[in-house]
Amino acid sequence: MSFLAGYVQYIGSFGLVLIGLYIVLVKTNLIKVILGINLIDTGVNLFLVSVGYIRMGTAPIFSQAEAAGREMVDPVPQALVLTAIVIGVSVVALALSVAIRLYEHYGTLNLCKIRELKW
Amino acid sequence: MLLIAAPLGLAFITPLLGLLSERLTRYVPAAAMAFNFTLGLLLLPRVLREPWIVETAGLRPPFSIHLVAGPLGVGLSLLIALVGLLVSIYAIGYVREGPVAKYHTLYLLLLVGATGMVLSADLFNLFVFFEILCISSYALVGYRGDRAGIESSAKYLVQGAIGSSLILLGIGFVYGLFGTLSMADIARNVDSVTPMKVFISMAFLITGFGVEAAVLPLNAWLPDAHSSAPSSISAILSGIAIKAGLYAVARVVFTIYGADTMPMLVLLVGILTLLVGEMSAFSQNNIKRLLAYSSIGQIGLIVFALGLASASGVQGALFLVVSHALAKALLFLSVGYMIYRTGSMEISSLYGMGRRMPVSSLCFTIGAFSLVGLPPFIGFAAKFTVIRAALAGAAPLLTALVAIVLLGTVVEGAYFFRIVQGLHFRPPPEGAAPEQTDQYEAPVSALVPICLLAAIIVAVGLYPGVLTKYLGPAAMDLLDKAAYIHHVLGV
Repeated sequence: MSFLAGYVQYIGSFGLVLIGLYIVLVKTNLIKVILGINLIDTGVNLFLVSVGYIRMGTAPIFSQAEAAGREMVDPVPQALVLTAIVIGVSVVALALSVAIRLYEHYGTLNLCKIRELKW
Repeated sequence: MLLIAAPLGLAFITPLLGLLSERLTRYVPAAAMAFNFTLGLLLLPRVLREPWIVETAGLRPPFSIHLVAGPLGVGLSLLIALVGLLVSIYAIGYVREGPVAKYHTLYLLLLVGATGMVLSADLFNLFVFFEILCISSYALVGYRGDRAGIESSAKYLVQGAIGSSLILLGIGFVYGLFGTLSMADIARNVDSVTPMKVFISMAFLITGFGVEAAVLPLNAWLPDAHSSAPSSISAILSGIAIKAGLYAVARVVFTIYGADTMPMLVLLVGILTLLVGEMSAFSQNNIKRLLAYSSIGQIGLIVFALGLASASGVQGALFLVVSHALAKALLFLSVGYMIYRTGSMEISSLYGMGRRMPVSSLCFTIGAFSLVGLPPFIGFAAKFTVIRAALAGAAPLLTALVAIVLLGTVVEGAYFFRIVQGLHFRPPPEGAAPEQTDQYEAPVSALVPICLLAAIIVAVGLYPGVLTKYLGPAAMDLLDKAAYIHHVLGV
């Protein structure tokens, strides 16, 4: 299995995405679905960071002369992830507040029991 | 730059204004959109000569984040500003209950998201604006906080969140492959990697944006969300939000990947979306759900036109985008006060409205006829362009597909004519409010935007040349990959 060692972060991130997708598709409790969405977000963020990551890399700061020659980690994906985390947090916050309102209306969070709107 | 910054700034000032006075906040979106509209009009002649690149942080593209105001971007942001302006005038009187200041903040943010999407030249920036649009529309769908609204908001949110994650995955792939996020730079280098890798990232991006664009397998949220939202929001969601998703799909497929291998699939997806949308609309008794399904059908037609992948096909698609945005906004707005007055969304409760709310009914009729594609209205010119583009090559398969499209139009005609007949020629249902014509009609703040929309639909329908001379450059903006790269990167 050693040939997989270089890709372990990709396997982990896609594993997280798939677990999250499974939760969203299978679970009927809205809170669990929201947790699933959160897991997908985490997986995606991990993937984005690992795209730009170099083993033993340093931050690309050029103020110290001796560090300039070494390998550096790409900062752009990390900036993206920072934004993506903020977006993810706001989506989850909104989802949780919707869940609260849904519970007030229906007295349940079971999505199978909430089915007033249909095709 | 100001097109985005001004409304965004106003959106964040709105809650503060709301602390001072609730009344003041109502006029903020209208002011912001009027500003955008005039600015867009001033910009248009300039960008038709040459796209205008806005640099941030003083770096030339492909570095840093930049905006490109091409004919397509400015044209679409003009459309957004126009529809946004009219709907916000309507909302001044229509939105009275609930946290009004928050409504206007979210509404402005939604429009900012859409404007940012069409002007962005950077894939991640596109995603960020897309999220601004999505999050504010999730919240606005559940604005009234009633059972249906919250339920559809939850549905929309779950599906939209997964779609966004897929987009982000796609962006991760793209960055891994090309090491850049500038759309022009990706487009330049797209031939340097194997088609399989390109296909994976493209599939993620298309699926993600397709959720918002409501193409066939991904549109389960749309009828609920559009029918449960307040009417002014339904108008914006149907008129603008879906189009923004569609724009993103088209930009990714045509400009970034320069794809000409996809069209067959795209054509079929478009046709299926059209048929399913129109068939479902036909069987509805709820007027707003009917309009929502009809939006799905129209999206199908636009996707079909885009799938032709020829200059005239894309031109027709853009024409349809404009005509559908105007007509659907008009329909939702005019139906809004009918529902408000009768307190019911059943089609049968709208019978006899032609006598009680003559202006709204007349405008509804104009919108419906335009969507079906009757001659003096804008819908006819748009559909005609698409059909002519599809028949241009005289391929037998395309001719068969055009027949299906026309069949869809017949179904569309059937249900719209049923409503129009009910509006004008059927007696009102038993126990309806007595006829007090001057009290019953919608207030002036609602009639002004409705009548303006109807007037635009008729005017452009009579003189399509006003619009088509801008559609050609806009279509080329989308299709002509080399020119786009040249303008942005200067190579």
